[in-house]
Amino acid sequence: MKFISKIHGEIEYKENEVLTFNKGILGFTNLKKFILSDLKEYEPFKLFHSLEDDEIGMIVVSPYEFYGNYEVKLSDEIINHLSIKSPEEVMIITTVTLSSDPKKITTNLQGPIIINNLNNMGEQIIIDNEKYNVKEPLLKE
Amino acid sequence: MLIITRKKGESLMIGDDIEITISKIDDGSVKIGIVAPKSINILRKELYEQVEKENKMAMNINMDLLKGIKKK
Repeated sequence: MKFISKIHGEIEYKENEVLTFNKGILGFTNLKKFILSDLKEYEPFKLFHSLEDDEIGMIVVSPYEFYGNYEVKLSDEIINHLSIKSPEEVMIITTVTLSSDPKKITTNLQGPIIINNLNNMGEQIIIDNEKYNVKEPLLKE
Repeated sequence: MLIITRKKGESLMIGDDIEITISKIDDGSVKIGIVAPKSINILRKELYEQVEKENKMAMNINMDLLKGIKKK
């Protein structure tokens, strides 16, 4: 299937790759269907794009690529919402905020996106831990 | 919106299993005790707003800016 994004042009995806976010994401709670698409020339980054709004997409990354010690404790609430049965089902990505100054390119470790790989359900959660910030630089000096 | 006046030490119930108690009142701030089921997520609203704002900022995508970034 094809989706035309205003940000990234044509995105190809398969029906079984569509992610369902029943609560949307914060600030966009009306958007429920997303796709996670590889950006081959920009690995390890991926594009997380709404299938309901052609202008809504974000660059995301596995936070572990940059922050090996990153820890997320999933609440009972999220485990229930996403019907998570085992840790292997869980994929965690964080959004990337770009800047023309590479040192100011950041990722949001406070609001990770949790996806259950088995059923393709996802939700953005908020971590209340002062260790993690919404603007965590990707490049450390 | 419901507005209720409470004094220090008084509580209110939200449904059958959420209890909110005013535990301390001090010059412009109140300390609130909350008893709620584990399944209910309680967060300061600023955190929501910060993540909402960051989501919006992350939607400004310019692929050229990603080029120089390599993982550590």
